[in-house]
Amino acid sequence: MSWPRLDRRKAALVASRDLRDAVSELRLVLAMVALTVAIPIGSAIGIRGLAYFGGGTAVVNRLSLVGAFFVVFIPASFSLVLALESFVGERERTTLEVLVSTPLREAEIYAGKVAAVLAISLTLCYGGLIVYCLAVFPGLGFFPFDVLIALALSTVCQVAAMVAGAVIISLNARTMRAANVMASFIILPMSVVLQVEAALILLGRTEFLWGFAGFMIVLAAVLLRMGLNGFSREALLAREVGLRSPFKRASSALRGAFGNRPGFFRLMWLRRVPLAIAAAGLPLGAAAGYLAAVTSAVPSSAVKPAVSSLINAAGAGSSTDEVLAIFSHNVLAFLIVPLIAVLTAGLSGFLLTFFPGFLLGYVAALSSWSIALTGVFPNGLVEIPAAIIAGALAIQIGATAIHMEASGGWTARVLAASADYLRALRWLIPALAVAAILEVKLG
Amino acid sequence: MLEVERLGKRYGDVLALRDLSVRVGEGACLVLLGRNGAGKTTALRCMAGVLAPSAGTVRVDGIDAVADPTAVRALVGLMPELPGLYERMSARGYLDYFGAIYGLEPAMRKRRIEGLLELFELVEAGDRWLGTFSKGMRQKVALIRATLHRPRLVLADEPTSALDPDSARRAWAYLKDLQAEGCALVICTHSMEEAEALGEQIGIMSAGRALAVGDLGELRRVSGLPTRQEVRELPTLQDIYLAVVAKDSGNHREHHELAETRSA
Repeated sequence: MSWPRLDRRKAALVASRDLRDAVSELRLVLAMVALTVAIPIGSAIGIRGLAYFGGGTAVVNRLSLVGAFFVVFIPASFSLVLALESFVGERERTTLEVLVSTPLREAEIYAGKVAAVLAISLTLCYGGLIVYCLAVFPGLGFFPFDVLIALALSTVCQVAAMVAGAVIISLNARTMRAANVMASFIILPMSVVLQVEAALILLGRTEFLWGFAGFMIVLAAVLLRMGLNGFSREALLAREVGLRSPFKRASSALRGAFGNRPGFFRLMWLRRVPLAIAAAGLPLGAAAGYLAAVTSAVPSSAVKPAVSSLINAAGAGSSTDEVLAIFSHNVLAFLIVPLIAVLTAGLSGFLLTFFPGFLLGYVAALSSWSIALTGVFPNGLVEIPAAIIAGALAIQIGATAIHMEASGGWTARVLAASADYLRALRWLIPALAVAAILEVKLG
Repeated sequence: MLEVERLGKRYGDVLALRDLSVRVGEGACLVLLGRNGAGKTTALRCMAGVLAPSAGTVRVDGIDAVADPTAVRALVGLMPELPGLYERMSARGYLDYFGAIYGLEPAMRKRRIEGLLELFELVEAGDRWLGTFSKGMRQKVALIRATLHRPRLVLADEPTSALDPDSARRAWAYLKDLQAEGCALVICTHSMEEAEALGEQIGIMSAGRALAVGDLGELRRVSGLPTRQEVRELPTLQDIYLAVVAKDSGNHREHHELAETRSA
């Protein structure tokens, strides 16, 4: 993965103009500053009021942390508005066309605009956080420095992810109205992230916030890279082909996705890297499961329900019912995995082999490898290769979803990868049926 | 200066431009005429190194626009049809910003900006926000921006459409001065007066292709129009344009009728 060349001086030129433009509208600046200051002070009054009127120390401390996350989220969400204005707004007003006709490279325009939005949003976020800390923590006898550092780190990435998401929207939206509607696709997942963070704090598991900060770093890097790849003169100036005959165009796109796809063996050769990744998921999962059991990092109470539900699904009723239960369970997994592969960047494909491996390793640690392997023999001889193939094709869908090209064609590529998966199900579903029969009759 | 060989551009299923071949020498001017959607703007964007051609080649000063589009854009001044000005920037600030992007030194930027603001009678308005400017004033600022860095090739899409006749003549005189300094011009316009005033070479475009390219004499021959006998007057460019386009429409009609007859 190489980053393109860019002249930092030129990117700084673009950034400084965008910054000046953003602060030239006094009413907007006043509104942003007022919200940034008023929300922390309002939250601080609530927390201190709770402490004054006898709220328990644990409750007050945890709520003070949750408050910090909310205080930062609101100015962070301004970044989305600013980024949409900077990209879609400029495109709508045709000023972006002028900018792209200069010797500036796409990377310089992109970096300059992203830097300007980041500078404004982060100033507001950290300004709000400082106001909040000054208003809440003095006299509380509690200052969670490590959590606030994790928050500061994840905020940078949260804002960067929103900005990069806005760029991706700007490549698909022609008007601000359309862009504002599409922005919900960014705000909603981000609000879920905020809720999970709040839940972790309320549960007293703040150590996981570092993991979240790490996740946000990866997400921001992926989205920024996608935005950079997709931000091209071609995409920005491409002629609007219009919305005539949408069903005809959609069916033609679907036909195109299924047409001229490689045969099964050729496909396996083309997808050898995702196949290797998916195949590695099983031993890695087994090792992780074994270690988790041996070190008690994951309590058996957390793993048992998963194992029990699998046993229960297979263990009730006649042998035909058992076959059907195992088969339908596996088919459901094979159908869900590609659907969420687009949203998880293919991680669901990796988990298709990693998770069974994890359970296998966990059971092996509690009993022995021979007992654990007996549980997956002989059905595993069919089921595991099928899971590796399905996992690989789902990884490919995810990889396609996070890859943008200057020439466009994202939808066509994702459809083609999905078509490969669907076509492979012709072989995979019978394989799952055979595995279910083997498991019940010989397992 | 500008060499375009069999240039084609496709947007998905839409063929916006096909088989365009033109050459514009140093200090020469090509005017492109054609109805809306004829492919003129796409042609300019490809010539400016902004869009990559789907077929054919574009070379500016010997530099291939596909191999090194950044270098081509540095040599070119593109003035799109819509001025695309930042509303909350002064004219001086705006021109200074683009001068800096083109790498002009601050002192030179200031000198050129003041000179051009004076030429286009914008000195007093220079510190006002561009959002307060009239359509004509915006077009003047856009023309100054496109030529501030003294490009080797100016590509202008209807550069005087919003200007009053006096300002338009001033703009033509300015473009003629640039030509005299060796700058090549490619201008898209709907104004036959402008085309006759500027164009040594004129291209008539329709449906993404050039129907005819040449000087006025060559176009007269292509059009097949006789000299107006009654008043002993040569056909005007307007007459030629309409005749060439009508001839092409006739060819299309004949082609369709022939095809329909064959299929019947």
